[in-house]
Amino acid sequence: MNRVTQYYPILPVLLAYAILFIVGQTVSGTWQLVATLLFYCAMGQAFNIFLGMTGYVDFGYVAFMGMGTYGMALAITRLAHLPGLGAVVIVIGFGLALLMATLLSLAVGAVALRLRGAYFAIATIGVNEGFRFLIEGARIWNGAEGMIFTAQLVNIVGSERASRLMTYWADVMVLAIAVLAAAVTLFYMRNRVGYALTALREDEDAAKVMGINVTKYKIIAFITSACFAGLVGAASWALKTPYVFPPEVFEIHYTVEAIIIVMLGGAGTLLGPIVGGLIYGISKYYLSIFLPGLQLLVFAPIIIVIIVMFPEGVVGVLKNRTRNTALGRFII
Amino acid sequence: MVVEQMAGNLIQGLVLGAVYGMATMGLSLIFGVLKVVNVGHGAFIMVGAFIALLLFNTLGINPVLAVPLAFLFGLGLGLLFYYSVMQRLIKAPELATLLATFSLGLLLQEVVKLLFGSEYRGYNWAVGKIDLGITVLPMSKLYACAGSALIAVLLYLWFNKTRAGSAMRSVVEDSEGARVCGVNVGAAYALSFSLGIGLTVASGVLLTMFIPVGINPYMGGHYTLKAFVIAVLGGLASPYGAFFGGLVFGLLENGSYTLFALIPGVEPFALTRFFSFLMLLIILLIRPTGLLSEKRT
Amino acid sequence: MLLKLDNVTKRFGGLVAVDHVSLEIERGQFVGIAGPNGSGKTTLFNCISGVYFPEEGQIVFDDIDITRMPPYKRAPLGIGRTFQIPRPFSSATVRENVAVGAMFGTMSGQISVQESLKMADHTIELVGLQAHRDKAAGSLTPVEKKMTEIARALAMKPKLLLMDEAMAGMHPNDIDEMVAFIKRIARQEKIAIVAMVEHIMRALVNMAEKVIVLHQGAKLVDAPTQEALADPRVIEVYLGHPKET
Repeated sequence: MNRVTQYYPILPVLLAYAILFIVGQTVSGTWQLVATLLFYCAMGQAFNIFLGMTGYVDFGYVAFMGMGTYGMALAITRLAHLPGLGAVVIVIGFGLALLMATLLSLAVGAVALRLRGAYFAIATIGVNEGFRFLIEGARIWNGAEGMIFTAQLVNIVGSERASRLMTYWADVMVLAIAVLAAAVTLFYMRNRVGYALTALREDEDAAKVMGINVTKYKIIAFITSACFAGLVGAASWALKTPYVFPPEVFEIHYTVEAIIIVMLGGAGTLLGPIVGGLIYGISKYYLSIFLPGLQLLVFAPIIIVIIVMFPEGVVGVLKNRTRNTALGRFII
Repeated sequence: MVVEQMAGNLIQGLVLGAVYGMATMGLSLIFGVLKVVNVGHGAFIMVGAFIALLLFNTLGINPVLAVPLAFLFGLGLGLLFYYSVMQRLIKAPELATLLATFSLGLLLQEVVKLLFGSEYRGYNWAVGKIDLGITVLPMSKLYACAGSALIAVLLYLWFNKTRAGSAMRSVVEDSEGARVCGVNVGAAYALSFSLGIGLTVASGVLLTMFIPVGINPYMGGHYTLKAFVIAVLGGLASPYGAFFGGLVFGLLENGSYTLFALIPGVEPFALTRFFSFLMLLIILLIRPTGLLSEKRT
Repeated sequence: MLLKLDNVTKRFGGLVAVDHVSLEIERGQFVGIAGPNGSGKTTLFNCISGVYFPEEGQIVFDDIDITRMPPYKRAPLGIGRTFQIPRPFSSATVRENVAVGAMFGTMSGQISVQESLKMADHTIELVGLQAHRDKAAGSLTPVEKKMTEIARALAMKPKLLLMDEAMAGMHPNDIDEMVAFIKRIARQEKIAIVAMVEHIMRALVNMAEKVIVLHQGAKLVDAPTQEALADPRVIEVYLGHPKET
């Protein structure tokens, strides 16, 4: 494998996202669905960097998306009155989203990443609720009332561009985040980080005595994953729907969806989150039409079956089938 | 005035704490024996709460009787889930058991939602109250507290005085050693998983005494979090540790609420919840094996 | 002197797993550590490789005090390790497994992925796993897994290789071959081997220059192989545990 061919697996990723984008743009009435699918793929891609590559479950993952949403919301609400900044505010918003997601991941990681397996899960399961109640309880950032900032957004970019931002550009940003997350995943896989993460996911003690500083690599994966979650929150929640309410952006339901997507597609694989995101998003869409309100009732047993019978997920199975074949070069 | 209020709330906290403790014993039992964290714990509590509600509202069965019925139901549910799912994951990576228990909880939640809807419900078991001067305690809460203590004692006796119990204890200590000594480890796993679920479902009945209108398919999440705090307080693998952890947690929860209520401009209820999360992190930071346990892991 | 343990003690609660053990290993020396189940061998290994820190005593490796050094820093100093039940990284290929050893476990520090893979190929040839190079390690037979693990450890270019029950579960015919192989590699690469066995077995004894016998956490005997075998205390330890076959 040389320096170029080892990055071939990015091609099916790009192809999938390109098709999705083109379908959304050309087939009328599909953009809303495509936007939703992009959101699921991006969230899965971000979550996979941690759950998939380390084998640790962060049940409080949605908190990073919440932080990203608040980052963007704060930038827009606090800077809207400054003249001449214009769209720069959005860039600052993404920066703030990254910063806040990173800070939270450092705080959580400092406690949780010292812990193994089950204890890690226990430490993280309350992060989203804990943060929600801190914001509500101490009345930080408007507390339980949240923030609505459509008006400020209009102030900054003008009403026409604001509506274009909400209905189109925000989704394109989510697409870009998803592609970037996939690229980073592949880059990690092909470098020391990926080898270290595979080793620690399979056997942490063995990895340590092989000379791997497992804490360092767990932190790298954790922060990377949190940053992408923050970006997804900023783009898909704050810009697409310019309001933020604590119970919504810290809702564990999104962590659940991320888990389903990653496990369905194949944890730790590059293509898994796309496959999982598409399967989940499309079936959820049709379930909401034919069996409204029962999506989770359908997905809960499916996820159990996957864990028991196909823990590698769709892409994992495909990857094993195509190992050492021409196709296998593209599927990881 | 504040002191009286605090004393009254602490008494309430102790009564609730006993029930919290009992509601966490199942979690610790399952972790102790199977080394599996039941992330869906709260959903089983929710099932118990619904059992109490339905028995009371439709058949007029009082909650005292609902406790053993819920326990039996939980035992059955535990066996079903153990043999259909958990048994296949005993040797699997931790990720699998965490996600599986989580999904089982999710499944229960969605089934209950499908059957009974998602609005908040409750029932009123009026059996009088006693006035302690500083606080008023409904008898129903006292019964729940006494019931929890009784169940804890029964579990203790079962663990220490019966053959099955001591076999289970040996699995907690060293599952390989137990296997060598002729203990049927598979049966011990099945038994403790279903016993743990049975206890948890039964505890859901007792908890309904404290939430007159809080029964809802999604109520479990909060209790999962609380149970984790309590379990790590008492040492994750020890059911009795969990019971005492519950008492401590009940006191801390009500005590911190009383104090937060004194601070102007904050939401004491939300802050109390944040506080319990903070407590979890602090305990995990200082001593992951539990503050009340003197044992190693 | 490559490795020197001075009065190392490790306790678990009230239990003393390793009890004031002192020992010395020379460069390139082949040492057998024997002792019945529960005699503290694995705990001793874990103290040397850094999984546990001892409560008392000092461990010096290659003139560096490593007593409280985290395990990932010890590996690059030249301490390799294999496990009783082989623990290769199952989802990774044999090649990737071995490359991890070269990538993180060598003294030279930053070795690129490409270089590591090249080094892995070399090591894989050395142990004769070429045919399995691109298979997932999880799909191998137990002996192949064991060889993968040994290759992974060798790729770390260790000065000291700790082998935990390297021969357990192997066919007697294979054991001789395996021991001879390890001995040959050790001489070739100038590696000191500390092989841990539950029983003093012939194959090992023929190769080891000295034998250390542990009993209830303490060092019972530390002597050249033939001398150790004749020691009445050793005979008593083993015959005193007829259950262990």
